Amino acid sequence: MAAGPYNYSYIFKYIIIGDMGVGKSCLLHQFTEKKFMADCPHTIGVEFGTRIIEVAGQKIKLQIWDTAGQERFRAVTRSYYRGAAGALMVYDITTFIVRSTYNHLSSWLTDARNLTNPNTVIFLIGNKSDLEAQRDVTYEEAKQFADENGLMFLECSAKTGENVEEAFLDTAKKIYQNIQDGSLDLNAAESGVQHKPTTPRNTLSNDQPQSKDGCAC
Amino acid sequence: MADREVADVMTTSSSSSSGSATNNPLSRKLNKILETRLDSDKEMLEALKSLSTFFTSNNIRTRRNLRSDIERRSLLINEEFVDCFKVAKEQLDSICEDVQAMNECCLDMTSRLKTAKDQTHDLISQTTQLQTESQKLQMRAQVTDVFLSKFQLKQEEVQILRGTRDGSLHPGFFKALARVKQIHTDCKVLLRTNQQTAGLEIMEAMALQQESAYERLYRWTQNECRMLSGDTPDINNQLCLALESLQDRPVLFRYSLDEFGTARRTAIVRSFIDALTRGGPGGTPRPIELHSHDPLRYSGDILAWLHQSAASEKEHIQALLKHCAATSADENIHDVLSHITDGVCRPLKVRLEQVVVSEPGPVLLYKLTNLLKFYHVTIGNILLSNSSLLNTIDEMQTLCLKMFFNTLNYNAGKLLEKVELPPGDLGTTSSLSNTLQLVQDILSSHDSSVIAIDARKQDFTQILNCVIDPLIQMCSVSASRLPTVDMATYMINCLYQIQNTLALYEYTDQRLEMLNAQIDAHVDTLVSEQASFILTRTGLSHAYGIVQQHQSAQGPLSSLHGMDAVSMKAAMSKFDSYLASPDSLTMTQCSLLLSAKQRETVKRRSSELIIAAYQLIFSAIMDVQNKYAESNGIVPRTPDQVIKLLS
Repeated sequence: MAAGPYNYSYIFKYIIIGDMGVGKSCLLHQFTEKKFMADCPHTIGVEFGTRIIEVAGQKIKLQIWDTAGQERFRAVTRSYYRGAAGALMVYDITTFIVRSTYNHLSSWLTDARNLTNPNTVIFLIGNKSDLEAQRDVTYEEAKQFADENGLMFLECSAKTGENVEEAFLDTAKKIYQNIQDGSLDLNAAESGVQHKPTTPRNTLSNDQPQSKDGCAC
Repeated sequence: MADREVADVMTTSSSSSSGSATNNPLSRKLNKILETRLDSDKEMLEALKSLSTFFTSNNIRTRRNLRSDIERRSLLINEEFVDCFKVAKEQLDSICEDVQAMNECCLDMTSRLKTAKDQTHDLISQTTQLQTESQKLQMRAQVTDVFLSKFQLKQEEVQILRGTRDGSLHPGFFKALARVKQIHTDCKVLLRTNQQTAGLEIMEAMALQQESAYERLYRWTQNECRMLSGDTPDINNQLCLALESLQDRPVLFRYSLDEFGTARRTAIVRSFIDALTRGGPGGTPRPIELHSHDPLRYSGDILAWLHQSAASEKEHIQALLKHCAATSADENIHDVLSHITDGVCRPLKVRLEQVVVSEPGPVLLYKLTNLLKFYHVTIGNILLSNSSLLNTIDEMQTLCLKMFFNTLNYNAGKLLEKVELPPGDLGTTSSLSNTLQLVQDILSSHDSSVIAIDARKQDFTQILNCVIDPLIQMCSVSASRLPTVDMATYMINCLYQIQNTLALYEYTDQRLEMLNAQIDAHVDTLVSEQASFILTRTGLSHAYGIVQQHQSAQGPLSSLHGMDAVSMKAAMSKFDSYLASPDSLTMTQCSLLLSAKQRETVKRRSSELIIAAYQLIFSAIMDVQNKYAESNGIVPRTPDQVIKLLS
């Protein structure tokens, strides 16, 4: 049986949040298409992308909701936090709006905390790491912010693709780990994770013995 | 050998003795003997040597007996020889006998073989014939086998196709089905050859197999699909293959998809209700209905949930139809998706209607309309526009917009129903400012909404039609009982306020133009009122009227009543005092104008009118035909001076 693109055992729902122009859509595009989108238009409301990855030998489908950063879409995008298993909070390392970077991040974080599950994995991403010359936010600063708030953290570049894969995969690993140690309840609706009880093959082999038993009667 | 030599010598000597008679044989003999070289004659030497073995003693007796001895000895030896040969001969004889016997035997056998051969000849030819025949048959058998293996199903394949009683599907089912199909197609080749009967029969058999297999497959698919009603349907590869195969039977394919659609439809309705009423585990995320007090968030959450579900459902169908041909898949994906999302329409409609009907106020209604419009576009990227979900959203949007305009109209109606009297300061009434605030709120909410800019123009025009016209009407009605000057002032103030509000927004140009024209008209009124007020107060209005209408036929102006030099002089002195403090004769209403610019305009333009009037009177008095004595004394100021004083 060919392991086609549709065979997976989990679906994880992600959202990408952050100010406008930090490169959320480019990150998604880089992750799903492995290409850099140079002239990325402003996102209207929300957009949506998927990719199948593998964590610990399990095929996992990521369903990623890329939200618009513009303030006027805030009301709309807030509705998409529901039941996200992972939240990628993106900022731009080249724009440091005097301390207000923190304020912005804090407000995004508050939103994320208020509108998602307690178990939602929040990952801080400093994008545009290729523009080292224009850097305004140091790695240490951001790292400290992440540590203080218990976030995972990476700097990456949607342009070169550096660390993009890692950010998405690390989030998935963390979610998977939460599932494994039982802190994430899969049976609950809107946990942001959907589990397929068995792989298709197993379902088949499970069905058959039963059917044979039925016949023997 | 030696014996023979000896014998030879003996014969020679005897012959020599016998031949001595002729030609001196003795001498010849002797010569011969003498010539004989004993050393070189080996035979002689051998003979002598063997002679020496038994001729031991050389005496007369022995010499006499030598000959007989030798003869005896020779005899003996010959006898011995004969004996020896006898044995050999006997043995040879026996061999000869044996060979003869063998020969006989062989002959016998030959003859027997010959007979046997004669006898088996037929058999052999028969066998050969049979052999060739058998070879031919074998060949045929091979051909038949190959034919059968190509044109007949194997027993196990038939078994697989027939399936088990409980309806489960064997993993090899699709391979078997493909073979049936292949055979069926291959039969067409058969039909083209002269094997038509076989071709037709096989074709028929395969068609039967195929039909029953498809039927079974359909039943299985139907069952599988029916079970896909969980939150995450487990779409296994077998099911995808099943749908791929069923493409050949469009009706069954369609029915299977319908079954899938129905199962998913049930699932999505259930999860929708769950998300609305139960929320996530332990209440996080909270049930959507918990926010029903906040209509915008409530509706937004509902629509976002539907958007996400629609996207997921689309993925499920794409997964299901991954093997199917792109054309049929595309078409079906939309149909099925439309069917799946059809179920949530009712609960969605009920809830949105509740929100809309609960009279959340025009601003909220407008925001809600825009939200619905946004989701109509967003979900429209996933579903086709003819799907019932989109229709429902569209319907709700229309309803919402209708309710919005209803509320606006109602508000407008209320304005006209209970017209407020203008306040004493002739400023705007509270209902006007409230309504303008409302318009401002509505129009501003568009800025924060998520709709494309293009949609604004039409909306704005309609909203303004709905509010501004009644508003102006209201102002007119409320102004109708006022005296002209008050009315003009009041109207200018109201229109100015409206204009100020609208100027902040796009697509209001036409309105602004219209308002401007109206304001101008009222300003004109005010200006002429102000001018005539001043003329009246200065007592020039009468003179001005007469001068305007004066014709030379009436005689000189000074002779007319009230136009004599004395009264003109009195009026002029009054006018002069006005010129000393022009503001003293400004009407109170003019100072009540809200806009400083308009106040200025009224003042400037009324002054211009006054100047024009003065100019007319001035030139009339200075005209000699009008026969004013001391005309310079009556009008001490030239128009230029007046202009200077008034500007």
